[in-house]
Amino acid sequence: MELLSLGVRSIFVENMVFAYFLGMCSYLAVSKKVSTAVGLGFAVIFVLTITVPANWLIKEFVLKEGALSWLGAGYADVDLSFLQFIMFIAIIAAMVQLVEMIIEKVSPALYGSLGIFLPLIAVNCAILGSSLFMVQKDLNLVESTVYGFSSGIGWFLAIIALAAIRERLKYSNVPDGLKGLGITMLITGLMGLAFQSFIGIAI
Amino acid sequence: MRQSNTYIIIFSIITTIILGGLLSLTSVGLAERQQIQVELDTKKSILRAVMDIQKGDDVLGIYGDRIESLVVDHQGTRVENDSEGVPLIAENVSIEKNFKLDPEERLYPVFQFKGDNGEIDAYILPIYGNGLWDVIWGYLALDKDLNTIKGVVFDHRGETPGLGARISEKDIQSRFVEKQLYDQAGQLISVSMLKGEGNPPESLGVHSVDGLAGATITARGVNNMIKDYLSYYENYLKKISS
Amino acid sequence: MSTETLEQPIVKKEKSEGLMSKRRRKFISDPLNDDNPITVQVLGICSALAITLKMEPTMVMSIAVLFVIVFSNLIISVFRNLIPNRVRIIVQLAIIATLVTLVNEVLKAYYYDMYKVLSVYVGLIITNCIIMGRLEAFAMGNKAWDSILDGFGSGFGYAWIILAVAFFRELFGFGSLFGFEVFEAIGISNFPNNGLMVTPIGAFMILGIIIWIQRTKTGYVEH
Repeated sequence: MELLSLGVRSIFVENMVFAYFLGMCSYLAVSKKVSTAVGLGFAVIFVLTITVPANWLIKEFVLKEGALSWLGAGYADVDLSFLQFIMFIAIIAAMVQLVEMIIEKVSPALYGSLGIFLPLIAVNCAILGSSLFMVQKDLNLVESTVYGFSSGIGWFLAIIALAAIRERLKYSNVPDGLKGLGITMLITGLMGLAFQSFIGIAI
Repeated sequence: MRQSNTYIIIFSIITTIILGGLLSLTSVGLAERQQIQVELDTKKSILRAVMDIQKGDDVLGIYGDRIESLVVDHQGTRVENDSEGVPLIAENVSIEKNFKLDPEERLYPVFQFKGDNGEIDAYILPIYGNGLWDVIWGYLALDKDLNTIKGVVFDHRGETPGLGARISEKDIQSRFVEKQLYDQAGQLISVSMLKGEGNPPESLGVHSVDGLAGATITARGVNNMIKDYLSYYENYLKKISS
Repeated sequence: MSTETLEQPIVKKEKSEGLMSKRRRKFISDPLNDDNPITVQVLGICSALAITLKMEPTMVMSIAVLFVIVFSNLIISVFRNLIPNRVRIIVQLAIIATLVTLVNEVLKAYYYDMYKVLSVYVGLIITNCIIMGRLEAFAMGNKAWDSILDGFGSGFGYAWIILAVAFFRELFGFGSLFGFEVFEAIGISNFPNNGLMVTPIGAFMILGIIIWIQRTKTGYVEH
């Protein structure tokens, strides 16, 4: 039940895009067509579901104060949390690479559609952000998996919705200076306003 | 040459060593200062519950003079050592970690604030709970009659800026001053924020304060946090009042 | 990602060029307006919006980003001929992450209040696409001094946009600037704070409008 609540909250209330502004670069750059947006969205869900728990393991067994005590009592005082950023980003980059290679081997068709997006994901702030929030919220392994997955879903929803609107936008008469980024910003703002109505929902 | 595997591996190893070394040096070099900052931050918020702290005040000095701290358990008995026999320091007891345990198993720090004459003037109790988005926490200062609130501080991790986040503002916190926690029969009523803001002053009794517009859930979190922690400390408070 | 794909490779062996020649001044002035990383190249939006609630954290964030971008540009540019091509992205990320960790540790040691306010967003400088973008597009192919200037240019270009957003958000959302109660000081004591500005939506709206104004002036149209 708590997991369901966490999931719903991370999809709607604490939406990566609308509440935390994360992953905006690729969100704005790859939302011109629904089909590409779907591809990137799936890739993000996929990578988030893997990297958040992976980083949880790193945090729990390597970085946290006293985390190395499984190596022996002498290591019980070691606190490596200052390596958090560099380790997380390395894990993310490595995971993305790994996923890319596996998909290429296992399913060339999927690789064809997802492949080009995977390198983009390493520098997507939503991925690193989720891992950092995971540390801040002090989640456990199962919770971090759920959190990663549902944050991905939230991001997926946001980019699909925006892409669908932008496809229609081609037929509207937008002032020259507002075309492209400007109007997209305003639309994102309005979508965020809609998402705000989920505030306070608890299941 | 530059693309050969050996070169890449050697390059990566050297980079890792240099960057890792640099980071460790910084971290070790700054560790002491960071700890002081954390300590200063905790002590500052404890003191804020009873007095105004200006920039440049000697927080550690005032704290050392005025505060005497101890740790009690759920029964209200004083606990000197932790399970491994190491003496407990009240300031280092993590409320956040204890919050995850059963109320009966938690450790409860108490900070006694001494007045100019050296007598205990107020009891400052940490409080902790859930707001709308994330956790909220604070300190509740009880007057020596153990009924009147002397002051509160609240802080939060991610409440909505401008709405729920206002609980960390001074003028919201000052609404709690002089409110009472128990009724005449000695029953715990606690003090709660009402729904909505701008309630007429005459509708506010000694057990309620004006609410937060647009932040009902954060306000409810504050109410629950105060009431819960007062009930956890009830045994201790009963003990010292008799 | 970036609309600007190719940097002109610098012509080899220039005759002792002044440290601030006209060509070099352009490295600084272009990103301020015509080639602004946020409003024209659409990079680094995430952090631009998240911490612009008030002026003070925004200022700290700008300085942090400026520091990271200048030094990472410098380091990458100095070692650009040593970095193996296949691992260059991860090397860039490692250097950025190291610099960001330095900033984070220093903030924690000397500016703890701000450390608490910025929390995870300092870490997110790592994935600020402006920095990665500049390393890839500029520092990998240019000399050290040019790269430093380019870093300053992009850093300032980023800074003034987020400061502008923060200016309006703090002014209308809280009625203050750097915590100073502006409206109260000029005699308007019952200024109603605008709730929209405090929420994320306000940031999107202001940024959208800034982009609109700027593009109308520069005449840049996106198709």
